[in-house]
Amino acid sequence: MTGVRAPGFPERQVRARARHGTAEVFPPADRYGAQLFGAGDDAEPVDPRLLDDLDAARLVPPVFVPQRLEKLIELAREPVHDDVDLATTVGGFRSPLPVYVSAFGSTRIAAGDAGLAASRQAGRLGVPMVIGENLVPVGGYRRAADGAGASILARLRAYAEQCPPDAGGVVVQQSTEDADSEVWNLVYSDPSVRDLVDSGRLGFELKLGQGAKPGLGGMTVVDAADAARLADRFAVRDVLGGGGWLRCASPGTFTEEIVRQQVRFMRNNFPRARVWVKFHPGRDVAHAAATAWRAGADAVTVDGAQGGTGWAPRAFLDQVGLPLGECLRRIGRPEGCLLASGRIWEGGRAVKALALGATAVGLGRAALLAVDTDAESGLVRLVRALALEAQLLISALGRYTVDALTPDDLWWPGTPTTTAAPAAPAGPTVDSRTDRIGGRA
Amino acid sequence: MHHTDHQPDGPAPRPVPLGEHLAAPTTRAAMAVQQEALYAAREYLRGQGCTELLPPLVGPVTDPGGRGAKALDVDYYGQPYKLMTSAILYKQASLRGFDRLFYIAPNVRVEPPETAGTGRHLVEFHQIDVELAGASRDEAMEVAAGLLTHVVRHVLDTVPDVLAGLGRDPLAFTELLTGKFDTCTHAEAVDRLRGGGHPQSADAEIDWVGEETLSREADRPFFVTDYPKGSRGFYDREDPDRPGVLRNFDLIAHGGYGELVSGSEREADYATIVTRMRESGENPAKYDWYLKLAREGIPTSAGFGMGVQRLVRFLTGLDALWQVSAYPKLPGVVAP
Repeated sequence: MTGVRAPGFPERQVRARARHGTAEVFPPADRYGAQLFGAGDDAEPVDPRLLDDLDAARLVPPVFVPQRLEKLIELAREPVHDDVDLATTVGGFRSPLPVYVSAFGSTRIAAGDAGLAASRQAGRLGVPMVIGENLVPVGGYRRAADGAGASILARLRAYAEQCPPDAGGVVVQQSTEDADSEVWNLVYSDPSVRDLVDSGRLGFELKLGQGAKPGLGGMTVVDAADAARLADRFAVRDVLGGGGWLRCASPGTFTEEIVRQQVRFMRNNFPRARVWVKFHPGRDVAHAAATAWRAGADAVTVDGAQGGTGWAPRAFLDQVGLPLGECLRRIGRPEGCLLASGRIWEGGRAVKALALGATAVGLGRAALLAVDTDAESGLVRLVRALALEAQLLISALGRYTVDALTPDDLWWPGTPTTTAAPAAPAGPTVDSRTDRIGGRA
Repeated sequence: MHHTDHQPDGPAPRPVPLGEHLAAPTTRAAMAVQQEALYAAREYLRGQGCTELLPPLVGPVTDPGGRGAKALDVDYYGQPYKLMTSAILYKQASLRGFDRLFYIAPNVRVEPPETAGTGRHLVEFHQIDVELAGASRDEAMEVAAGLLTHVVRHVLDTVPDVLAGLGRDPLAFTELLTGKFDTCTHAEAVDRLRGGGHPQSADAEIDWVGEETLSREADRPFFVTDYPKGSRGFYDREDPDRPGVLRNFDLIAHGGYGELVSGSEREADYATIVTRMRESGENPAKYDWYLKLAREGIPTSAGFGMGVQRLVRFLTGLDALWQVSAYPKLPGVVAP
């Protein structure tokens, strides 16, 4: 552990899962039979300002479960939670779980060995991983600059060495500043990355924004020497006092046509790489997502206002951007592969995002804390705990695949109760899947 | 059908060590053809009123290009400079003093390793690079067709024995020498490829396999026009009447040899150039010198680049592009 802190994030619980894995899905086993448990017993007081609409929603298993009957017929025995198949395709990559590891960005916390440890563990899990922007102009491609930690190439190799050949994939971000370093061209033309290209497991992510600071580019704090070194590529400003300099990347200028053409340009230039597009939780996120899918993006990532491992101005952390649940509701039924990130670390929030249309959820801060807790297996344990929890929840909802989840599986507090349609016990089986999105109809 | 089809179905010949390659009779024959081709190209372009300039080798920016090729970085007095992937931006700037100009320009593109097998890519190559102030696409296409026809005729006249020694049948050029080249649009090319079962994207450049397929079906060179925006650099002009369509062209050789020429009318309007840069993911700040000129005013123009090695391969009928370069560097292969 390096003493990384994540205020406002359930850090203690994440670290416990990184140490103990699936055991942390349940209350302590040694208290079984000796203590009574009820709602809220295990909860740690969380600053209510940090909870969003998705936290407030509840998963609501029905009594009647026709899809369980289908599964029962298929299995010739009663289905249990293990029978939930979590395997899916995440932005063009096969993944055993509806989970991927989000970019950590160029923030100092992420740039050290944590990036390498996360790469190894994500590879072992066979889940896709995103490598953050601004690592090349800051840290170099082949060899990292002093103190900048593992290079992109080292992380690509660490992932590829551990990953099963038929699963996962690595997605490399490029921002406006990265365009100067031509990160994508560098990676795509590198013979040592050829295996990933040949096996269809390389992708590029066009990053338009991030959850922690919607409308701004990446921000880090550097010392005066680094500030001088980076001044030709970034805005570096002496606004922090105490010797620290603010290094700002630009957010980049985007219009509908610019997004459409950049996606096409990526597909044209890198025909064998997958194309991902990441948006901040903007009020026009539904329009933006549709634009990207229609231009041919393999995945659209929405980073809710709870997202981001990086460093952001206080006003942005507290007051800017849509919460993740609202982003997902605005998008409605996705036209393509939708990925969701933002304060996800356990199965509940993950399954809620999946029910609202996401194909997979991204682990950002949680992954960083997990590898910080145990560089060898922390992330693997955290993800296995999440997977078990997801299987328990999805099976409780009477579903056995991730894509069988629907917005009907959620209840939003404060929404008027809809009166059930008159019962028709002898009628035909009603397909419980619905196109209705948002649970507020 | 008189032409001899190029047949790359067998195993392509593999590059040999440089010393051996330089001494090979094939290499000597290819250089003899190249010398005549360059002579004829200069003769033709000077006849068109073009001035030959010598191109720059490094600069703060170069052609961002496409298809995943990487520019090589150079430390230039501490500044990050690039080796020219093409001198397109300098060609446009040169129009201020030279209405009609051309280069025989060396280019370096670190192509993705996947292009090593196309037989059509080298990391180091040369272009006959032409730019014509005030010209339309039609005029540029006419000059490109005239250039190719003139070069072929000259080579057939001056080194027929060399072509015979390489087994290149002069009848392969019969239809070409009539000077009448067909034109189809990118959309029509996509339809033809899809009709033949090839999954060609409508939004992208014709892929390597598709290009070779079209090339093989033809008996003379042909133009493909109207590529979609997103498949080409920001400097290819978007048709003001048809948003999303570029006023550009490729000239594709017949017989499976593929693209010889890429050209276009150019964007000259400052605001349009900045917007197009963003659409292709570029950071306008790094194009500082070029955008300053564009703000002051760059003449409208059209132009093209004809690949010298591709031209010589087409003339000689050799299997792979490396055979017609004295110092070949294949994508993904570290070579002297």
